[in-house]
Amino acid sequence: MERPARRRVPRRLRTPYAPALALALVAGGFAAWAGQDWYGAAHDDRAAYAAQRDRALAAGEQAVQNLNTLDHRDLDRGLDLWEASTTGELHEQLTSGRDGFADQVKEARTVSTARVLSGAVTELDDRAGRARVLVALRVTVRAADGTRTDKDSRMLGELTRTDGRWKLSALGQAPVGGAPAG
Amino acid sequence: MTRTWPPREAGTEQYSAGEDAGRKSSEEGRGLGGGSENSRRESGRSPGPRLRRAVAAGAVAVLVLGGCGFLHAAHQLRSDGSARNRALTDTEATSRVAGDVGDALARIFSYTPDGTAAAERSARTALDGKAARQYATLFDRVRQDLTAQRVTLSTRAVRTGVVELDGDRARLLVFLDQTSRRGEDAATTAAAQLTVTARLEDDRWRIVDIETR
Repeated sequence: MERPARRRVPRRLRTPYAPALALALVAGGFAAWAGQDWYGAAHDDRAAYAAQRDRALAAGEQAVQNLNTLDHRDLDRGLDLWEASTTGELHEQLTSGRDGFADQVKEARTVSTARVLSGAVTELDDRAGRARVLVALRVTVRAADGTRTDKDSRMLGELTRTDGRWKLSALGQAPVGGAPAG
Repeated sequence: MTRTWPPREAGTEQYSAGEDAGRKSSEEGRGLGGGSENSRRESGRSPGPRLRRAVAAGAVAVLVLGGCGFLHAAHQLRSDGSARNRALTDTEATSRVAGDVGDALARIFSYTPDGTAAAERSARTALDGKAARQYATLFDRVRQDLTAQRVTLSTRAVRTGVVELDGDRARLLVFLDQTSRRGEDAATTAAAQLTVTARLEDDRWRIVDIETR
């Protein structure tokens, strides 16, 4: 009497665990799918490219602003910032012309403050670490006699990524009346 | 749970250890499925069933929560402003909106003393919303003068950058060259910077806002 009862009991009791097993499988499957979904999102090339674009723009806008800001009372800090924001040829130009430029500004006793109105990346080569930006800028110059003049300018910048940071390698005004381009 | 205790205790007594000892240990590692049968028998001597159920439930909970965590993180990555902005990441859409907007600006801001009609016609298809109202107001004010002073204006988008592109909305920075001439005077070229908001309607980008920079 005992034996069949014992045999039957486990088999019957096993059934409530089938849903539990199914639940575990579903949970495991869900977790695996979600994990792979996350992995896909985290390793999305387009997202990485977008992040580089935004980093390049932020660095470009900041650098353009830095290079248009200079206070004759605090020349060293301003010019250090210029050098820190640039790389390549532009950096060399600024470094070699630093003393002469400092003398000019000291004499003119001007304070220039720049504000970025808008900026956009027009080209980005993520692998080569090169980008081009457009920046609309308003520069306020306060002369020695206290008069203030606002000047809006449109700048074209070229950025190069050095040691993981985007820095300006070329900067100029967008030419007026020149040949059309991108 | 509680009600099954006495019979199970009895069962444990009767089950011989020899047959089951090996199976028990191998089954222990198998979790939900394997543990079930075994736990019935062993419960009298160990906290097995409760513990195993708790562990199993915990594991399921961890898997589900972990899955939700992954999904949430993936959603955050995708809806992150950087990833949503398709400027440059979608090259085709980017050059299309830049082209459409550049062309539209060139057309609506180019006219001859005799032909503001063409510019205004272009404006009707290329502008919408606030930009359309601004443009209409501007033209109502200057139309007479344009003809009287024989002003010719030609506009060219020299550089167009897409700041933001998200589905059917885009924000652009456009550098314009505007060459104007009054009567027989020499032409003068002026630079202009605009931020433009555009919206995709019926597969066409229309400018809804223009802000001078």
